[in-house]
Amino acid sequence: MSNSNACSRTLTALGIKSESHTEVELAFLQARTRRHFLRSVGGGLGTLFLGTLASKLVPSAKAAGAETAALDFSRDARTPLSPLPPQFPAKARRVIYLHMAGAPSQLELFEYKPELKRFDGQDCPASFLAGKRFAFISGVPKLLGSQYPFHQTGQSGQWISDRLPHIEKCVDDICFIKSMRTDQFNHAPAQLLVQTGNPRLGYASFGSWVVYGLGTENHNLPGFIVLLSGGKTPDGGKQLWSSGFLPSVYQGVQCRSHGEPVPYLDNPADVSRSLRRSMLDTIDEINDQTYAAFGNPETVTRIAQYELAFRMQMDATDAMDIRKETDSVHAQYGSKPGEASFANNCLVARRLAERGVRFIQLYHWGWDSHGADAKEALNLGFNDRCREVDQPTAALLSDLKSRGLLEDTLVVWGGEFGRTPMRENRGGQQMKYVGRDHNPGAFTIWLAGGGVRPGMSHGETDDMGYEIVKDPVEIRDLHATMLYLLGFDHRKLNYRFQGLEQKLTSVKPARVVPDILA
Amino acid sequence: MNVPGRSFDQSCEPSLTTPNRGFPGEFRLGFVMLAPILAVTILAAVFPPDGKERAHWVQFIGRFHPFVVHFPIALFLLVPILEIAGRSIRFTYLRLSVPFVLSLATVGASIASILGWSLARSGGYSGTLMIQHMWGGVVLSIVCCACWMLRPRLQVSVAYATVLVLGVGLVAWTGYRGGQLSLGPNHLTEFMPNGLRALLGVEDSHNVGSADPNTFYGARIQPIFSARCINCHGADKHKGNLRLDSYRALMRGGKDGPVIQTGNIQESDLLRRIKLPSNHDDFMPKGKQPLAADEVKTIELWIAAGASDTLAVNAINNAPSGSAVPAEVKFEKIDPLVVARLRSAIGPVVSQLQNQFPGILDYDSRNSAELRLNASILGIKFGDRDLETFAPVAEHIIVADFSRTSITDHSAAAIAAMKQLRVLRLIDTRLTDATLLQFETLNQLESLNAYGTAITPAVLPTIARLPKLSRFYAGQTGILPGKSVPESLVGKLVF
Repeated sequence: MSNSNACSRTLTALGIKSESHTEVELAFLQARTRRHFLRSVGGGLGTLFLGTLASKLVPSAKAAGAETAALDFSRDARTPLSPLPPQFPAKARRVIYLHMAGAPSQLELFEYKPELKRFDGQDCPASFLAGKRFAFISGVPKLLGSQYPFHQTGQSGQWISDRLPHIEKCVDDICFIKSMRTDQFNHAPAQLLVQTGNPRLGYASFGSWVVYGLGTENHNLPGFIVLLSGGKTPDGGKQLWSSGFLPSVYQGVQCRSHGEPVPYLDNPADVSRSLRRSMLDTIDEINDQTYAAFGNPETVTRIAQYELAFRMQMDATDAMDIRKETDSVHAQYGSKPGEASFANNCLVARRLAERGVRFIQLYHWGWDSHGADAKEALNLGFNDRCREVDQPTAALLSDLKSRGLLEDTLVVWGGEFGRTPMRENRGGQQMKYVGRDHNPGAFTIWLAGGGVRPGMSHGETDDMGYEIVKDPVEIRDLHATMLYLLGFDHRKLNYRFQGLEQKLTSVKPARVVPDILA
Repeated sequence: MNVPGRSFDQSCEPSLTTPNRGFPGEFRLGFVMLAPILAVTILAAVFPPDGKERAHWVQFIGRFHPFVVHFPIALFLLVPILEIAGRSIRFTYLRLSVPFVLSLATVGASIASILGWSLARSGGYSGTLMIQHMWGGVVLSIVCCACWMLRPRLQVSVAYATVLVLGVGLVAWTGYRGGQLSLGPNHLTEFMPNGLRALLGVEDSHNVGSADPNTFYGARIQPIFSARCINCHGADKHKGNLRLDSYRALMRGGKDGPVIQTGNIQESDLLRRIKLPSNHDDFMPKGKQPLAADEVKTIELWIAAGASDTLAVNAINNAPSGSAVPAEVKFEKIDPLVVARLRSAIGPVVSQLQNQFPGILDYDSRNSAELRLNASILGIKFGDRDLETFAPVAEHIIVADFSRTSITDHSAAAIAAMKQLRVLRLIDTRLTDATLLQFETLNQLESLNAYGTAITPAVLPTIARLPKLSRFYAGQTGILPGKSVPESLVGKLVF
């Protein structure tokens, strides 16, 4: 722009009247003399020299023969998922993330608040409401004590309600963070924040980051597998396991826990494996030509996905086939082959962990206990959810423990935010069923295995369980801590996109929580 | 070079210069200026800083040294700029101010030198760095004065130009030494990007440890000193004539004698000082946060146990665990040169094995030459023959997973040769007691996983002798829960 302005100024000065834009440019170029060229060429050459010097500084680590020492995530385009060592020795080699979509009530499960029980049914103090925004609460709601009795359990003496009798037995392996905090109070953005580090669409999910950073050891299975239960896709949708700006080969692969793990993975009738192979070879050849012509990395992703699908025909079906487990294992998990259930998914998760899958993400939908109907009432549907996850979660923990996998598998259990100590009063009316509204200010998640200090609680909330009074942990702090356990400085696991070194922990400074490290 | 006879000079000069002061006058003033320089030279030579702290008011004025020192530096560096710019016709007048700037620089340099000596003499400084910095400063004052005296009016003589260039070099050198004194000897390279570091061949000093990390001193004591003490009591700055950067220097003590009395926590001056309240005169580290309670306790227990540098790292049972929760997690740095050196011996073999068995062998981290072998990925396709090919790197493997592979007891010797193994997984393999009985060599093993194998209680006495073992997974084997086990395995079996 400034160039053409300058050139039209020059032309006016020279007394040339321009007819059109191109003519102006042409005339400008003709007006340039050898002196103009020589004057600008000096600076240009200098800049070129600086450019070559700068480019020397980065790959010089390679020249020194230590290409893996610098934090370099480049791989052979043909094997974008090949494993890379972590930045420093890691405690956790893989993650099983049990996301309770809808946000379970911490006040009915892990947060023992006798004071809140004492004020049950009384009007909520005005100070709780001032300046706050709620999804549904309006007017002055009533305080709501826990609906279920609590007791202390395990050698660590932690408080837990009577809704999780199986998980209770694993409490000495669990590290509770009772001071989690988020800044989103609606499900989809809050889930996106937990899973991608950002409440907006288009960012890379946790699993994608981990597979990008570490690759996957088993090249016959995806490195990041997603399993759903509870009858509905979580509110955040498939964006929750998207690779965002990372190459799409790092996105999560959603698998079904019954039937074919991925629809249409099997060959159609009358198509043999060798026929499929020769078909893929031809497609690969064409794709190779396309890649040679245009150089789009997504073409390589496409080739890699075809090849992965071909290999998965053998291994994925085997990994997902829980019929191969003994009856005693099924009794332990409460799993029934052929169903779509959280129990089946937990068992599949263990089988995938054994096979070297890096990131296994389970979603169980239905925890949004507002009390607007029976399914989402704390006294009805909530009980069903507890029953659905309690035994399988505990079975997964104890199974991983007895097989020695809990040593290097990080298990995470939690929702996207917490629930209010006030009873929800949608439209200012007392509702038929008992429920709580969303509380982004405080919630509980727990971690186990993979270098986490077992049998402890981190952080505290006030006597009403409403706000954090000690050691708040932001979502980005949780992410930084988990990446630390996986062997990364969260600032170093980054990807340049739109002029920013994008990170899972985003732009605000994140902190690794040292207290919860074993 | 100014060409005489140019009309510009002749027309401007009379109006810009003061009435001709004459050569001898400037010279006299120069000699007056030499007096404080001579004084500081004598002070530095006769009363060199000796690491003792004294006279609070001298230290008070000495502390102004870093504040004052930048003025003469800036003024002196301005001189060559004025001289060079003054060569252009448009800026000739600049050269007229050179004598004035030089005189200010000389005054400033001598004041800064005196303050510097005061700080060094009274602040308990000693060491090569400090000596070099001090004499650099003194010589620089002399150079300033010499420049002033040598400079003929509006002409540049060879002698003057030479001294000026030398002076600029001396400013850089002395300033660098001063930076090392206050910010640490590697302050310029500490945060150098790894790429540049490799290009220039600068090693990361953080990765070069001297004390043996298997001793209590090397693993627990020296790191405390390195983190909290050696900035003032190190190789380059030894306040109170005390150095804490090596065991020998520590035991030699400082100006008041030994600071550690072996086995005697009451008489050890070092311990007394770190335990004082932080506002006490003798408190150490002076002006810094006190040492953490666990750090003090660790040092106390070590002194009580004889303060030896050969004591094993785990010899003191009730020492506070090294994993006391830190306020902040520190991230390791990666130095590509150090990593390349560590890996040089096994690098080619590792690359070849990685090509032969993709995905199952890799370094433990980007910072290490230790290896992880995960053969379980290949399942039954991995057998005894395959394991043999890993023999050249056997002693570098720290984690090995053979779960669900088809290896048999023939591989017992190959596994037993992996002497650095910390984690070994043999889930659902056909290995039997015969293999596990050969594991006596695995004295680094922390976790042994035999889940789903046919082993029997006969292996327990052998396993019980593994010194570092903390977890033995024996579910779905011939070993049953609830049966009595050797005492050293109590609480370590997982079913």
